[in-house]
Amino acid sequence: MSWNKTARNVFIVFLLIIQAIFLFAIFKENTRSLGIAALMLILCILVLVTYFKGQIHHEDHAYEHIFVVLWIPVGAVTCFYLNHLLKLGPVLSATIIGSLASFIPVIKKSSSYLPQLPAAIYCGAFIGMSSTGVAPNFLFILTASFFTAVLLILSKNLFAGVGGKLGTLAFAGVVITSFLYFLISSYV
Amino acid sequence: MFNLILLITLSFLSATLTFYVNEDLRQGPVRSSAMLSLAVALFFYFFPHSMDSYLVKNIPIVFIGASFVGMVSARLLANYLLIGIGGILFCLIYMHTSKFFNGYGGALGTSASIALLAVLSIPIVGKHRKLTNGIIQLRKVLFKPGKKNF
Repeated sequence: MSWNKTARNVFIVFLLIIQAIFLFAIFKENTRSLGIAALMLILCILVLVTYFKGQIHHEDHAYEHIFVVLWIPVGAVTCFYLNHLLKLGPVLSATIIGSLASFIPVIKKSSSYLPQLPAAIYCGAFIGMSSTGVAPNFLFILTASFFTAVLLILSKNLFAGVGGKLGTLAFAGVVITSFLYFLISSYV
Repeated sequence: MFNLILLITLSFLSATLTFYVNEDLRQGPVRSSAMLSLAVALFFYFFPHSMDSYLVKNIPIVFIGASFVGMVSARLLANYLLIGIGGILFCLIYMHTSKFFNGYGGALGTSASIALLAVLSIPIVGKHRKLTNGIIQLRKVLFKPGKKNF
């Protein structure tokens, strides 16, 4: 199996696990409510159907350029600053960043690089939406940005055009960093 | 109950409106999601007492989350009704999101992607349903009521 195919499969399984954990947590907290538990089970089955039968990935595997994902920490740190230091709240902060980022391609319309930046910056903004209970400082945000950047590099042609992909990558980055922080605090 | 209906209606509107601005007005997914959600967030930022505190807190969150569903590419899904249903599913997931993941950045996007992936399975499941209907029709032809089978 080639490296590309391995990276592709590992990424898809990883994202499936993240989504399954997310749904399982809801299921576990709502076992007494039959309707919600049933809805989560049905959602799980439907998501699996799309994973196995849906045309959500491009055939050829490609990697996102490092100069694109470098903008993730910029979006994350700026959003975190607006969210917690200027106290604008997560939604207003992320939407301000996203709106401004969406106009970056206007700076030079002939550029092939600039149109790729809004998605990376918006993805970073989702990391900055984290509460201080989860992300206590800028170091956490930068670490989560690093993991999210790695995931974005790997997933250029995967889940292409699926809404929520950027958020899922940001969530995965935050979860990995939280887990890392938990391990460090347990052993140090 | 009123709050739930309002949030579900808004999530339907958010997803479909984002898709309209994204694909029909050709503004791109990021601008469509961010600017529509910015308008809603600004309204509640400047008028925090315009509604019940539960709605003031949750409407902007539900709106931006459902707008992620509307960021879907027309190559994958171009049906407004299904996109709206995706928005509603997002709302249902959001309202029951585990307390464990409270405050995790990207949780809204994860809920939106789950809702969208579930909706994307509908055409696939539908295809198989057509197949099942075909088998039923074939069975009717072969085993007509009243026809003796030897």
